[in-house]
This record gives sequence, C-alpha cells and structure tokens, in this order.
Amino acid sequence: MKKVSLAAFDPVLSGATVALLGIGILFIYSSGINASGVQVSAEYLRQVVWALSGIVLMVIFAMLSYTTLRMFSLYIYAGGLFLLLLTLVVGRTVNGARSWLGFAVIGIQPAEFMKIATILFLASYFSGIGNGIRELPRFLLGLVIVLVPIGLITLQPDMGEALAFFPIFLLMALVAGAQVRHLLFIFLVGVLAFALASIPTLHARSGAGGVSFFGLLSDSDIMRYLLLAAAVVTGLAALGWRSFRQRYFFWLAWAGGVVVAAGLMSTALRMVLKDYQIMRLVIFVNPQIDPQGAGWNIIQSVTAIGSGGLHGKGWLHGTQSHYQFLPQQSTDFIFSILAEEWGFLGVLLVFGLFLAIFLRGISIVWASREDYAMLTGTGILSMIFFHVLVNTGMTMGIMPVTGIPLMFLSYGGSSLWTGMIGIGILMNISRRRLRY
Amino acid sequence: MEYGERDQKRRFVILTTIFSGALGLLVVNLFWLQIVKGGEFTRRARTVSERETPLAAQRGEIFDRRADDPLVFNVDSFSVDLAPGEVPSSQLPALFDRLAAALDIPASDIAQKVPPRTWRQFQPIEIRGGITLRTISTIAENMEDFPGVSWHNKPIRSYVESGTLAHVIGYVGDITREELQVLYNKNYAPGTTLGKSGVEKQYDDVLRGRDGKRFRVVDVKEKGVTGAEDKIEPPTPGQSVVLTIDRRIQRLAEQALGPRNGSVVVLKPSTGEILALASYPTFDPNRFFATDGSAYFSKLSVDPSSPFIDRAIQSAYPPGSTFKVIMTTGIVDDGTIPISQAVLCTGKIEFGDRTFNCWLKTGHGYEDLFGGLAQSCDVYFWTMGNRLGPDKILAYARDFGVGSLTGIDLPGEATGLLPTPEWKEKVKHKPWVGGDTLNISIGQGDVTLTPLQLADSVAMVVNEGKVYRPHILLRTVDPRTGQTIVDNKPQLLHESPISPQTFQTVQQAMRGVITKGTAAPVITTKAVEIAGKTGTAQVVAGVDIRSWHSWFAAYGPYETPNPDDRVVVVVMVEASDNWEWWAPKAANIIFQGIFANQDYEDAVSTLKPWYVPVPTVGRGVD
Repeated sequence: MKKVSLAAFDPVLSGATVALLGIGILFIYSSGINASGVQVSAEYLRQVVWALSGIVLMVIFAMLSYTTLRMFSLYIYAGGLFLLLLTLVVGRTVNGARSWLGFAVIGIQPAEFMKIATILFLASYFSGIGNGIRELPRFLLGLVIVLVPIGLITLQPDMGEALAFFPIFLLMALVAGAQVRHLLFIFLVGVLAFALASIPTLHARSGAGGVSFFGLLSDSDIMRYLLLAAAVVTGLAALGWRSFRQRYFFWLAWAGGVVVAAGLMSTALRMVLKDYQIMRLVIFVNPQIDPQGAGWNIIQSVTAIGSGGLHGKGWLHGTQSHYQFLPQQSTDFIFSILAEEWGFLGVLLVFGLFLAIFLRGISIVWASREDYAMLTGTGILSMIFFHVLVNTGMTMGIMPVTGIPLMFLSYGGSSLWTGMIGIGILMNISRRRLRY
Repeated sequence: MEYGERDQKRRFVILTTIFSGALGLLVVNLFWLQIVKGGEFTRRARTVSERETPLAAQRGEIFDRRADDPLVFNVDSFSVDLAPGEVPSSQLPALFDRLAAALDIPASDIAQKVPPRTWRQFQPIEIRGGITLRTISTIAENMEDFPGVSWHNKPIRSYVESGTLAHVIGYVGDITREELQVLYNKNYAPGTTLGKSGVEKQYDDVLRGRDGKRFRVVDVKEKGVTGAEDKIEPPTPGQSVVLTIDRRIQRLAEQALGPRNGSVVVLKPSTGEILALASYPTFDPNRFFATDGSAYFSKLSVDPSSPFIDRAIQSAYPPGSTFKVIMTTGIVDDGTIPISQAVLCTGKIEFGDRTFNCWLKTGHGYEDLFGGLAQSCDVYFWTMGNRLGPDKILAYARDFGVGSLTGIDLPGEATGLLPTPEWKEKVKHKPWVGGDTLNISIGQGDVTLTPLQLADSVAMVVNEGKVYRPHILLRTVDPRTGQTIVDNKPQLLHESPISPQTFQTVQQAMRGVITKGTAAPVITTKAVEIAGKTGTAQVVAGVDIRSWHSWFAAYGPYETPNPDDRVVVVVMVEASDNWEWWAPKAANIIFQGIFANQDYEDAVSTLKPWYVPVPTVGRGVD
C-alpha cells in the first residue's frame, strides 16, 4: 500500500517542480554574489529551508484527500479572510516600510495563501451550482467570492496579488461552463479600467502638449460626459432589448456596460491606488519617462536579459546583476539573472518545465472526471500561470511592474509554499484518479 | 456537468491554448530580445558597467619669441565633485549649505548644478573648479560632514603678466553646451577646458593635447569593482606654442599707448611676424578663476568701452590721411600726372555745389606730390583723386588689401570696408557722386581699415610690393623633447604689380613726412631714421570737430642694408574729447625703445618729450 502511494507521486509534476526549485536556489545564490565575487547574502540558505519545508507541505497535501479540503473550504476561506483583515491592522506599520522599498516579500503573506483558500471555496461553489453558473446572479455571486479578498488585498495595498485573483476566477468559471459574454465582460472591464486609470498620469508625465487622444481621456470633465453618454446609451439599449428582444440591443448594452463599468472602476482605482502604483502602470507603457526613477528597474532588467544572448554569460558571471544594476534580484527579478547568465537556452529550459507542469496538470484535471477536482486543479494552474506570465513579462518590459514573484524560483517562503501546496493538491487529484 | 462533455472538452482546449500560447509569446519575445537584438543589449550592458574616466592632458604653455620664460603656464588646482546618489535626498539640501559655506559660494549655485532629477545618480557632478589645496584640506578633514563629495585635479591657467597680451593670448573656460554640440565629434567632452579667444582659441587643438582615458568596471554606485583591471590610455600633453611676439617690444608698445583706447601693431615686414600687438582697454584673465570671476566677467562684458575687443585686428576705423600713402602710390604708378606738378592749395576747393576745406584753413600754397604728402594737403589729394577717378583709386586700394582680411592667425579679424559704387547703390541706395571720390582720396567717408591692415599696407611699401601673411605663431614645440613640431614659415600672401621704383618714390615721400612734414615736430628719436604718415580721421561727420581718431603708420630704419632689421609700427588712438594727437608721440617712444634697446622709462628719459609729464604707469581695467 505504501509502495503504491509513493509511486503515485506524479513523476512529471514532482520532477519539474523540484527542478525549478533547484534552479531557483542556484540563481538566488548568484544574486547574493557582489561585484567582488563574495557571497554577501544568506538568502539561498533560507530558500533551501523554504524548499525543503515546501516539499514536506507538498507531500502532506498530496496525501490529504482533496474531498476533505472541500468539506472545510468555507472555513479555510473564512480563516483566510480573517488573516487578511488582521494583516490590514497589523501590517500598517510594515506598509510604510514596504512602500519605501517598493515591494518586499519578507515574512508570511496571507495574500499568497488566500489564493489557495479562494480556489478551494470557489471550486466548491461552482461545482455546487453546476449549470446554474450560466445564470447571471449565480455567476455574480461567484465573482463576489473573489472580490472580497481582492478588496482586502487592494487595501494593503498589493495590486499585483489582488490582480492574481481575476485570471483564477475567469479561467475557473470558463471550465465551470460560464457564459463567454460574462467572462469577456469582466476581462474587458478589468483591462480597460487599468488603462483608463493610468492614462492621465502617462499623459502628464510624457509632457505632450496640445489636443491629443490621450489628452482628451485625461480631462476629467470630458471623461465625465463620455461616461454619462455611455451610461445613457447603455440604458436605452437595455430598454430596447427588454422591449424588442433584438440581439443587437443586447450587444450594444453589453459594450456600453463595459465602458461605464470600466470608467467607474478606473475612477475608484485612481482613488485607491497610490501614486507609485499608477506610476508602475505608466512606466510599463513607457519606461523612458523616468529612466533614473521608476523606469530604472525595467530598463536594467531588459538590458540584463537582452545581453544574455543564446548561451548567457555563465552562472555567477552576469555583469548587470553582480554590479548591482538589477534591483530585487532574488525576488521579482530572479528571471532577469537567469536570462542573463544562462541565456536563451536557460530560459527555454525554465519555460519547458513550466509548460510540463501546465500540460501534465491539465491532463490530470481532465482525467479526474470530477467537477470539484477539475475546478480546483484549473484554479491552481491558473494561479501558477498568472505568476509566470506577469513576472517574466514584467522583467521583459511587456507587463506592468506589479511585484508578483516567479513561483518556485523567486526567493520567499509564502509564494513558494503556496505553489507547493498547489502542486500537492494536483498530485492528490492525480492519486485519486489512480484509485478508480 | 450538464452542459455537456463536448463543450467541456472545448473549454479545456481553450485553457490549454491560453497556457501554451502565452508561454509561446513570452519565448518569442525572449528570442527577439536575446538572439535578434542581443548584441545591442550586450553593448548597452557594457556602457552601463564600464566607465571611462578622462585623464586630463596637460595644456601646452605659451612663450614669446625668445622661448625662455612662459607667458602662460598651468597651476595645480582642484575641482570639487558631488555624487548625489550617495546621500539620502532628505539630507542633500543641508549638505548643499555646508558645501557652499566651505567653498565660499552661494548654496543656490550648487542647487542649480544638482537639480532634483539627478538626486539618485551616482555619477559625480562637477560643482566648482579653481579650488585651492587649502580648501580641499578643510573638506578632507571634515569628510563626515561631506558625504558624496570628492575632488579631482584640474589645473588652471596662469597668465604671467596680468593685463599684457590678454587679447593676443586670450583665455580658457569650460566648454559650453553650444560649443559641445559643434565640437562633440572632435573628442571634446563635457567639462573640458577650451580656449575661448586669442591664441588659446586659435591653437586650442595644438595646446590641448589629447586626453587619456581610464577604463574602470563599476557597479551602480560607481564604485570600482575589484578584480577588474583598470585599463589606462595615457594622455598626450599639449604642445608648447612659441609666439612671434617680443615681450620687450610688447611691453614698450603697451606702455607707450598708455591708458588710451586704441591699439599698436609692430610687425616685421620681411616675414609678417607680429612683434607686438597691444589693445586698450584690456582685461586680466587670471581674475576669471578667482571667486568673483563671473562678476568680473559680466562687468567686462557690459563695459561700454568693450575691453574684450582686440582693437588692433577686430576694429576698423576710417584711415584718414594715412590713406594718402595708398593715393601717393597710385598717383606715382599711374604716371598720367607728373609727380612734380604742383597744385595750388588756397585752403578749400569748390566741388559741385559744395566747398571742401583743407585741414589747414589758410592753405598750403603750391604743393607737389612730396610736399602734398609731407604736409598732408587735402586739396592736393582731392585734385589728384578727382583726376584719377574712383575706378583707379579703388583698384589701388584693393591692391593694398583694403576691405580684405589679412589672414592673421587670430580669431575674429575684421575686414574693414572698401566702399564701391555698387556697394553704395546696394547698401545706401544712393549713387556714387564726385564727393565720394574726394572723400576716399583723403581716407574719409565709408572706407575703414583695421590697424593691422594699415600695417600690412605699409609693409607692402617697405617690401616694394610684397606682403607676407601676418602671423603670431612662430613654432610649436614638443614639451618633452624640446623639438620643433611645426615651424610657421613666412608665407608670401600678395605681390603687387606696381614697380619697385614706384614704391621707392613713395618711401621718399613718407620719409619727407618725418623730416619736413606734419610728423617732424613729434618724431624726435635719434635712434633710427623712420618714414611714415600721420593721420587724423573724423569719427563721424557732424560730431565735435575736436573729436578725431589719431593714426600714425611708419617704418624704420628708412635705409638699411639688411631689410630684416625693419619694423612697421602702426599706432591708433581712438577719438577722445581731449584730442592730444597721441599716435605719432607713442610711435616716437616705441621706435626709440626698439632701436636704442631701451624700455619705456629709459626711452622717455632719453627723449624727454614735452608731452609726457610723468611716466605713465598702471594698466588694466578696474
């Protein structure tokens, strides 16, 4: 019996995960080397501890039946929310220091674990309502489940972690069978809201004068009238749809609704987001706006990656990183060191390992033939996917700087443990499948 | 799930597509960054981490023709730099105040040089140059009060004899943004010292040498990285420049000119070498490096007497009667009028509806060419000018170089003006009339010459038609070996078609000016026989009649077996209210000094002139 269960530790999942952990430790080690070639940081040692304890956690969750997790999902979710509230109260003093550093992943971050808790509870809710997800109210209730933690995390404020919940929700709802028009609506509103929130600052910082498209969108009066017009169109279209049941009325109302919702949300975002967070959105569009300040990280990171070439400069031989041009080397910008020192080939290896996790994960989930397992697995994979996409995209300058760590590779316990728990749950799903 | 397995399968395909597609796009982007554009980023990574510090080349020294003691040399001095990134932004304003107090400059100067956008940068910014070792020691002793402050050696120029030769040698300064835009491709970098005027500017590329470079691998804090070897490209020191200037004659000329707005040119006609070039008012470039340097500079810039202008080459004046030398040459060369033909001067002539008065209202009586030049009889030259006609006069003037550059190797030379009928038509919209011909015949009207151009005209008479390019550079010398690198040989610039016999006649006529003419009372030197021409030029028609420019253009010795001994001296004193006809008096002292080998005081005490009550001392603008 013991033997069977050991063999059940999915070799692809565990192999890829452990390989990523190892690569992560190698480059955390490299990031601690200063220009004189001396190791000045003990982070790699701590990461070894995190990795080992993470493997233990993975094994525990692989053994722990996910059906048990389902039973407690509401309590786990509620407990997570309580921790977030607690962080909000206690973390305030830490916050000041954080905003000074820019971002930090030191200590336990409830926001990381909250993603697992939300996935478990949302999977339980969606599998419970079944096809009911196609009805708007039930779909919206699912949205509320993610919006509560999003709200609490935004108040911290940690924009990146808050954003991570959106793809989790959207992809889980997709698999659960939600209507595509609902999903597209939320996706478009989210993207448009962040774009609108950053445009005024972008416009002001780039110093463009005269009348321009961006200039018009920066003018709050014009924006107000535009929103009002969109709201009127939406209202009329909705009325028309009610009276005549014509399809184009519905899509008109849908499009108008996207604009109105995005406009309202961007206004809210501009009130909630701190200046430096809006600045990150802005420098994502144009890092050269502030090359010595906020844009510095991106410019240095892209330079590091680009200078890696095909083979890279060799492990421990990156110049950008060791001469301290790269910021947050061990956490947010670990990928830049990797790309600089191992080059394109090293990057292919890492992406290959992640792709292995995704494809293997999807096949496990699909084979489970069980709603709750499918949804939980999709949520976990979506979470890992979001971290990979946003983190590496940020280091290449094609995603905004959000302070999202690269799961399994970045230094830091919370993100690593969250990932390992997720992999453990996937393994458990895989084991259950073997039981059939 | 009730919505069907086919639909569910489709949704998993979408999920797989999203995952793989996004990873694919990331890989494509990385391929673009690392493989396609990899080289560009490698270069950029190197510029970020490899710093190039210039190693300043020693600027060449400047000597007079004897090449013994330098006229200009370099003095050790320091520049103070600040790396704002080393200091937390909140502490910077306080640091500015402390540093300003230590350097004795206003704190706003520092704030201006270190604006907030640079506050995160580790690259040092130069705050101020010309700092003494003592100030640096004070800062070094209190280093904990001055985080991020450093200094580097930046020698300053010392101009040995303050005030003399300031216009010829010029001065240096930090390169301006505009200059940098023009000179960037010639390896000039921000913060370099650059010649701004005079020889310092003209021969900047010779004097500056080539800066060396030190390559250091640095981290973001601009700290040198150990283990990475510094590569050094040693600087090449600038060449020493030896001028044609004779320091003794220069001093003599400056003192003879005294505190009068004007200039003196002393040149060797056989080679074109400039022996002295004085201009007053002058300035003291050493003071530009002092604490109140910029205030002093601004004061000079707005001074109505324009001390920065080198009046010997950058100002053109109506030549007045000195132009009659050119007229005399023309009359002799043309030959249509016998030189012995006398003209009756009654003190005025009627021309058209106008009356022209000779300077001697009572009239000169009958004057031939020699008498006409000696007495500077206006009526004689009006009559002859009218007979020659404007075309011939202008052709002779052109032959003498009126209206064209002499080509001296100093920046900013003025061309002067030779008015022609076409010019008058175009600029003044009036036709050339007979009155214009009369005016130019006595060097009045619109014709203007720089003192150097007039010196060249006299040189042409002395050399019987040959003009050598006037020059200030004798040779350049390698400071390490003492070997000559460039020898600036005399260069024949112009050879007149006029016969030597004609010039010999003109020389006789000019000698007459000294022996029995207008200059006879003031040219009292016994040290040398000279020939020349006086000149008084009306500043502008209609201005106070007593306001005249005073000219004297002469050469000596009049007769010599060795033409190399000859010098041309042109003195020009600008009109002042109290007209003292100073030019020939100054020339008298200069010739005495040169040929009796005396300094100003000795020359004055030998000559005992009535017009120098006390020896003039003290120069410079204050």
